[in-house]
Amino acid sequence: MEEFWQQMVTGLATGSVYGLLALAIVLIYRSTTVLNFAQGEMAMFTTFMAWTMLHWGHYWIVFPLVLLMAAAMGGFIELVIIRRVEGGPILNIIIVTLGLFAILNNVATWRWGGIPKAFPAPPEIQVTGIRFFGEGALDIGPTVVSYHDLTILVFAVGIMAALYLFFQYTPLGLAMRATAQNPIASRLMGIRVGRMLAVGWALSAAVGAVAGMLIANLILLQPPMMMGVLLYAFAAAVLGGLDSPVGAIVGGLIIGITENLVGTYTPQDVLGPDMKLTVTLIIIVLVLLVRPTGIFGKRAMRRV
Amino acid sequence: MLQVREVVAAYGPIVALHGVSLEVPEGSIVAVLGANGAGKSTTLRAVSGLLRPRSGSIEFDGQRIDHMSAEQIVSLGMSHIPEGRQLFSEMTVLENLRLGAYSRFTGLAGSIGEYRQRRQDFEAAVKQVFEYFPILAERRNQIAGTLSGGEQQMLAIGRGLMGNPRLLLLDEPSMGLAPIVTREIFEIIETINRTQGVTILLVEQNANLALEIAHYGYVLETGRVALADTSENLRKSEAVQRSYLGQ
Repeated sequence: MEEFWQQMVTGLATGSVYGLLALAIVLIYRSTTVLNFAQGEMAMFTTFMAWTMLHWGHYWIVFPLVLLMAAAMGGFIELVIIRRVEGGPILNIIIVTLGLFAILNNVATWRWGGIPKAFPAPPEIQVTGIRFFGEGALDIGPTVVSYHDLTILVFAVGIMAALYLFFQYTPLGLAMRATAQNPIASRLMGIRVGRMLAVGWALSAAVGAVAGMLIANLILLQPPMMMGVLLYAFAAAVLGGLDSPVGAIVGGLIIGITENLVGTYTPQDVLGPDMKLTVTLIIIVLVLLVRPTGIFGKRAMRRV
Repeated sequence: MLQVREVVAAYGPIVALHGVSLEVPEGSIVAVLGANGAGKSTTLRAVSGLLRPRSGSIEFDGQRIDHMSAEQIVSLGMSHIPEGRQLFSEMTVLENLRLGAYSRFTGLAGSIGEYRQRRQDFEAAVKQVFEYFPILAERRNQIAGTLSGGEQQMLAIGRGLMGNPRLLLLDEPSMGLAPIVTREIFEIIETINRTQGVTILLVEQNANLALEIAHYGYVLETGRVALADTSENLRKSEAVQRSYLGQ
């Protein structure tokens, strides 16, 4: 039983990372209906920037700086590249984000090389005697949880809560939701729709950057590190409903847990760890057959 | 207050307005009548900046606005309540009203005093809307998409009023509504004009009703002004009666 709980917690942790990246994808999709295939590579790129900066700065100084830089990068990409193709044929936009994928991947390989690098976990902080983050494990009764898994969970929950408050209670968040729902009416309210889209990309890049820094500790930092994660994140976003931020996180958690349980409990000669991606994706296909808009999705999907 | 001169506007290759001119004096209600596809909505879209005219000029309070964006024009004190209401249908009534006031309160408040002032202005505007449409006060936390057609139109007008406009562009407020609800809404439109002095440019298919509350009227036909007169004269005019009043 302890192993089961162990796998659950690990699944929740990796699932949170998928969920965060899925959230980044959803943030862009629901306001622009652009599927950003470069989301994972943007996260990988900012994680490399973090790795470089960690040579001279402490983790907790570098972390917020990287978020700011990621946001700047996201906004820049929207303003300079995506804006030119927005409103055009959907294939153009897909090709552009795929191009972005290739560019970021190649620049990272050229600049930082292909050799995998260790990326640190968020270091320990003591707040009034209570320990946050850091190495080691915590005994929580039924099982033992590593601090890094806990850290990832805390980040995912924290980011969700922060985004919820932002969208629900700030004028900027309200305007961004309005833009996603009805761009024309938003213009008539005086909302600069273009600016909102740039802010959306910035926000999304920052969320992705967190996912990148957290996963890099688990799977080593290297240019192709986000490929698998991106696949899971897309699956999570689709499973949860492409227009639902809550759905993205829930979808990520479901996939993370399924993946871990399948990898642990199915017999080696039938399915086993090698088949966990396949099994996970089959489950998603089954769910989508029943609910084509995803678990939390509302908007009717167009047939493409 | 509003001067539209020789405006030509098109959707891609399809020209919808072939040189429309009209004038809306301050404090008046001006009706734009005409059949489907005559260019009524297009005229409003050109005025509010949703559609950039190809040529001609539009002046609001003596200022050229035909090259401005819709976002800029709102903040000059013009609210466009578009065809089909265009509510934020997944948001609550109150959130819709909050967005209606967006243009008045953009940017961060400079001081606590300014923040308080904004809050007060916002509360006052909401109170005013709820006075016109008490039903909206009851439904303030309801999702806009679940309101009845009449309530949605009221919310659309209320949202337009939140920006504290001096000119209100109203596109087919009667669309899809029962006659009794339409009448109620038209009475409130008249009240808004009379008590608050808000100038109104009203596009309507229901010519009878529109001419009842309007001071002036324009009849559009295939993108041109066919007739322009006081509403009293238009009601008497044989051509109008035959084509639009069904008498």
